[in-house]
Amino acid sequence: MILFILAFRNLFRHFRRTLTLLLTVAMGSGALFLFKGFNTGIMNQYKDNTIHAKTGHGQLNTEGYMNEVYERPWKHWISEPDKIKAELKAIPEVSHVFPRIDFYSVVTNGALNVAAKGTGVDGDEEADFFWTINIVQGETLRNQADGMILGVGMARALKVKPGDSLTLIAQTVAGRANAVDVTVVGVYHTGMKEIDDSTFRIQRKVASELMDTDKVESIAIGLKSDEMWPQFAKTVKAKYPQLDATPFEILDKVYYQNAVDWLGQQFAVIQLIIVFIVTLGITNSFAFSVVERTAEIGNLRANGESAWEITGLLMWEGLLIGVIGSVVGVLVAYLLNVIVIPGGILMPPAPGLTRQFHVKIELQWASAFVACGFGLGATLLATFVASYKRVRIPVGDALRHRS
Amino acid sequence: MKSLYECTSLNFSYQLDKQTVEALKGVELKVEAGEQLLIMGPSGSGKSTLLNLLGLIEPVQSGEIMFEGQAFSKLSEKEKNHIRRYKIGFIFQSFLLFEVLTAAENVEYFLTRQGLSAGERKKRVAAALDAVGISAQANKRPPEMSGGQRQRVAIARALAKHPAVIIADEPTASLDSKTSRDILEVLQSLRTQGVSVIMSSHDPLAQSYASRIVHIMDGTMQNGKGAGV
Repeated sequence: MILFILAFRNLFRHFRRTLTLLLTVAMGSGALFLFKGFNTGIMNQYKDNTIHAKTGHGQLNTEGYMNEVYERPWKHWISEPDKIKAELKAIPEVSHVFPRIDFYSVVTNGALNVAAKGTGVDGDEEADFFWTINIVQGETLRNQADGMILGVGMARALKVKPGDSLTLIAQTVAGRANAVDVTVVGVYHTGMKEIDDSTFRIQRKVASELMDTDKVESIAIGLKSDEMWPQFAKTVKAKYPQLDATPFEILDKVYYQNAVDWLGQQFAVIQLIIVFIVTLGITNSFAFSVVERTAEIGNLRANGESAWEITGLLMWEGLLIGVIGSVVGVLVAYLLNVIVIPGGILMPPAPGLTRQFHVKIELQWASAFVACGFGLGATLLATFVASYKRVRIPVGDALRHRS
Repeated sequence: MKSLYECTSLNFSYQLDKQTVEALKGVELKVEAGEQLLIMGPSGSGKSTLLNLLGLIEPVQSGEIMFEGQAFSKLSEKEKNHIRRYKIGFIFQSFLLFEVLTAAENVEYFLTRQGLSAGERKKRVAAALDAVGISAQANKRPPEMSGGQRQRVAIARALAKHPAVIIADEPTASLDSKTSRDILEVLQSLRTQGVSVIMSSHDPLAQSYASRIVHIMDGTMQNGKGAGV
């Protein structure tokens, strides 16, 4: 107890210096906490963009389909999609089921032809789930029977706007040419150039007619929560051995998983830099404090304290500064986020993207503990480094020291 | 009487800039248990060096110091710490109290490190503060006390350890004559409690409070080997 009392009261010996130490730790911990929240915000944004604009939580295809290249891929598409859709909806983890037909087509406005990749979807159901698709003109595809939404680059190339008509020309599964007329109902801007320049969506029923097939290439799945995929995949494997279930992070590896890995690595580096700066700052201030107390250290040694015991005493002070500084830093960061930047930060387009996006700083309890842990760890390390040599100087030299 | 210390052919030198200063030359000294030994000599004569060697503050370079039958030169750091913790109490000229602790807490600190129970510590703290006549200031911190009061706290701190010997390096040097007399009386009273005291001073006042006096000059004992007055 007396060790704690001594350590605690020593904090007030040079209050200004202690305040500097506390501020250093607080700034480090607060910065880590905010940065971790910012990182989580970006990662969640990427995740939402992938799940709620493109793939859902994952996708079903016939076994091996994703890893093969077929001359006639539709021969390997999923049969009886509506029956499977109804069965999948009965699985407890599933909230949405989206059979999809992907196909290549020539899109023409009569004067201009553009080659593009189309997806036939159940518009009304997808509209509720795919809410991050970012419609910038018109409206999203719902129950408009001949409706079409297309990327902003493609709309610009074809010089079309909502209400305009286009014709899709494609090859049926039997190899015949076929065409349908569609009406543009909306234009989306995902921010990914290749998607915005060359993709569109129409109703699945229209795509079926165009391709002349009842099959679907894939079935995208929406789950009740992001964490339910492993359980769902297990159920699918048992019930539909002919189908493969692929989660969104593999489907969209280039965009999502690589971004997450990249950001994770970046966070680790910045985390190290912050810890290094904090450790350096504290070591410097603490070293002054320890040098000033050399005679006191000599007195302790003369009375039988070992170098390790004195280090332990100084570590108590480091512990207090680390705990108080870290907690204050995390609290201030939390208040800053709630009061000053509740709407998040407007970010410029990320690499490979063409639109700005808002990143909400998503602070989490676990991150608060991590930030406090790093603050405390850095302080203890700094205390140890600053005191290691000083507590080991010869007792006589320590006692003769005049600060 | 049983020998507490036996110093034989004790030499000690240190480097000052590029010069080697011989602080002690062939010192022979015997201290009996229960003695109140005063080491006198002018500044730079080697008094503090000798005390530092007796208190395990400086290492033995040549010669030997036997303490309760143990040779200092053969002790490990752990054994040295044990002797410092349980057998020796220090009183420094500059007090070296923890400024952030009260008088009672200052006295208690090293008792905690001795591993004593809270009850035993409390008893010893009260007895030590009482012995030096400073119980009324138990809850004051050093900055709120006079020099004499601080030195009494330092004596109480050394005394509470129940050491075999208290080593006091110029304990009255920074005090006025009235306070010096009070402190010397307190140190003298320890004799009745069976505590040995080895004290250095160049204050003539200290002579009347010692049971034996040795003089040191230029690192050499002046009264012959192990001599006393």
